[in-house]
Amino acid sequence: MPASPTTLRWRRFALGGLLVIGGVLLVVFSALLGAVDIPVRLGLQILLNEISGGRLFSQSCTGTSTSAARCSVYTFIVWNLYLPEVLLALIVGAALGLAGGSLQGVFRNPLADPFLLGISSGGTLGAAIFYVYRVGVANADLYLPVFAFIGAVSTGLLILAVARGRYSSVETLLLTGVALANLLSAILSLVLLYNPTGSEQVTFWLLGGLGLADWQVDGIAFGTVLALGTLLCLYGRELNLLQLGSDVAQSAGGGAAAVRLRVILLASLITAVAVAFTGIIGFVGLVSPHIVRRIAGTDYRIVIPGSAAIGALFLLSARDISYLAFPGSLLPLGIFTAFAGVPFFLYLLYRQRRSAPMGGP
Amino acid sequence: MSPSPAVRVTNLGVRYGARVALHAVDFEVPRGQFVALTGPNGSGKTTLIRSLLGFLTPDVGTIELFGTPVGRLSIRERARQVAWVPQDEVLRDDVPLRQYVLYGRYPHHHPLDRETESDRALASRILEEVGLADRADDGILSISGGERQRAILARALAQETPLLLLDEPTSHLDIAHQLDLLSRVRSLSRFGRVTVVAALHDLNLAARYADRIVVLSRGRRVADGTPRDVLSEDLLARVWGVAAELGIDARSGLPYLLPRSLITETRPAPSALAPGPVHVVGGGGAGAPLLRALTEEGYRVTAGALHLLDTDAETAASLGVVAAVEAPFAPLSPDTRARHRILLGEARAIVVAPFAVGPSNLANLEDLLPFARATPVIVLEPPPGTHIDFCEGAATRARDALRSAGTTFVDDVPAAVREVARVLTGGLRESPGLPAQS
Repeated sequence: MPASPTTLRWRRFALGGLLVIGGVLLVVFSALLGAVDIPVRLGLQILLNEISGGRLFSQSCTGTSTSAARCSVYTFIVWNLYLPEVLLALIVGAALGLAGGSLQGVFRNPLADPFLLGISSGGTLGAAIFYVYRVGVANADLYLPVFAFIGAVSTGLLILAVARGRYSSVETLLLTGVALANLLSAILSLVLLYNPTGSEQVTFWLLGGLGLADWQVDGIAFGTVLALGTLLCLYGRELNLLQLGSDVAQSAGGGAAAVRLRVILLASLITAVAVAFTGIIGFVGLVSPHIVRRIAGTDYRIVIPGSAAIGALFLLSARDISYLAFPGSLLPLGIFTAFAGVPFFLYLLYRQRRSAPMGGP
Repeated sequence: MSPSPAVRVTNLGVRYGARVALHAVDFEVPRGQFVALTGPNGSGKTTLIRSLLGFLTPDVGTIELFGTPVGRLSIRERARQVAWVPQDEVLRDDVPLRQYVLYGRYPHHHPLDRETESDRALASRILEEVGLADRADDGILSISGGERQRAILARALAQETPLLLLDEPTSHLDIAHQLDLLSRVRSLSRFGRVTVVAALHDLNLAARYADRIVVLSRGRRVADGTPRDVLSEDLLARVWGVAAELGIDARSGLPYLLPRSLITETRPAPSALAPGPVHVVGGGGAGAPLLRALTEEGYRVTAGALHLLDTDAETAASLGVVAAVEAPFAPLSPDTRARHRILLGEARAIVVAPFAVGPSNLANLEDLLPFARATPVIVLEPPPGTHIDFCEGAATRARDALRSAGTTFVDDVPAAVREVARVLTGGLRESPGLPAQS
């Protein structure tokens, strides 16, 4: 029995408020957390001063016992290392949440996830090719994401091309993704086996991390995710209708194959952005939409932006947990999202097996 | 100029690979009509419905909805012309009914618009109309099957289309909910508000609610007309392979069919080893129950002399019973009588149905008399109070002659069948070479 409309409206309101307040607190907390311990008051002061453009204090460390040299190091760490990392976690988490929410909608399958489609494997293969063959290595910051991006998007397009011939079944598409992911992993193993150089970086890529974060990367990621995410949010009503099955959706004026393809393509693109900058981080896209649906109902006009918000906070929490549990360095985030996500995935699988068959027409 | 019909299907052909699903179907539905589409499984009903919805592209032929080829409508335009009520919907999310019904408003808005106040009012009114107003806030997964089907109807109605297609809408419902749903649909079409095409398995439901019945068989349109014109025992035998009896409901005046048994196509033609032949003398439908019962028991059955187009003759034909047949309403000709005598001569038992005897078939009884001495004859008494002698006593005299010849008189069909079993091998079930009972 679903929550009544009033309850639901109240819950959505509460969720929104909680996300905003909790989000701000978490961001501030996270920005002070990292490999180097920074006194809380000092960190806050640095943050406020930098955000206000230096108008608040004559110097970031005014009123503290910190020396000027130390202060500028702290400022650099907070402003140029921690904050970009935090923001990239938010952006990528949002991207994965958006991709997961819209893919679950378009496939009518609560187990759909950007990584099930093999898009991430394609991105990783692209990155591996970059590392192993040292293409454009002089300009690594630019070329690495580009290679990952090309790998991810072309995998997405390949899946679409394979599936488009017989679009009738969602299972076809999902299984195509799974098969393709395995094939790409095999190719990746082969590449690494014959070219051991660079395999260390690729390993890091396979588990995902925020190592590339800086203001420029954040800017590019934010711009693309904002644009693609806005487009995805526009398909909310269409996805609502699609939940009735593609035939019923079509009889009611929606759910055209072209629309479904567009949603899948947008989700692939946004996943590609995430993979390009952070490598493979699983389960954010799987878990986030479920949390939103549980609290705020099944309306995709809410689920998609909500998944972005939850995904962002989920990934940021993973970063923080990494620093709290293993102080001193940031471990690959894929480890932490998997620890949280896999039990959740198994729970979903178990529940789904008891209630309804997989997939649907 | 009269408005174009709601549906015009011309020479429609659809195939799935090598299998032909629809073959040269022509079909037109005037606005405001309630058409029941019926036929056995695999006859093409669903294919036709799906073609009308534009889900299938026909291999040949054209489909027009209100004068526009369906392929030329965009998905949204189509959804404003025609709404669909499927058998069931595979739903995953427990959406509140009110929200679910609002999905039907989709084609009336730009995808980015929100539902308006008038949409909400319409949804409430429709939920009221289908009797679900008090469940508006319940989830679609938590209501009963009958309510679910009405919710699906409500969602389709929210599209406010002039044409409504239903695909076996009652197949998951109990009888009360079947009647409930169809009477609601019926009332929609009553004032010409909505044209309805419904694929229905149940011929009696179709006859009860539809203005017109279209029968499909193996992808072809084989019958089309008012329920009274279309429903017949012959139709059921030919199209469904089912022996049935046709009755007229005294209160509504509508025909109804009472299915009796399956006519299996694989049933071997009564072989020479099967006991018999048993000959049935009948006419006008009085012999049909006997023909069916004896065939069912596995006898080789013959019949005569019957008039073409009467129920006995049609039943005989559908059962593969050899019969001497005369032209409709004509007195029995010498030829027919001769053929009838041959059948009488071959029979090992003769059963006389309580048929109405008139001048045109009195010869049946007269021809029978000489055989009564050599062959066991079983005569079925007419139901009490039934007058069957329309020849000023000649028929009664003939029956009296049979009685004095030592024939057995029985009261009903089962008794007649038992008597046949007794006079033949003394108990049918023990006899060897009997075809398997169906």
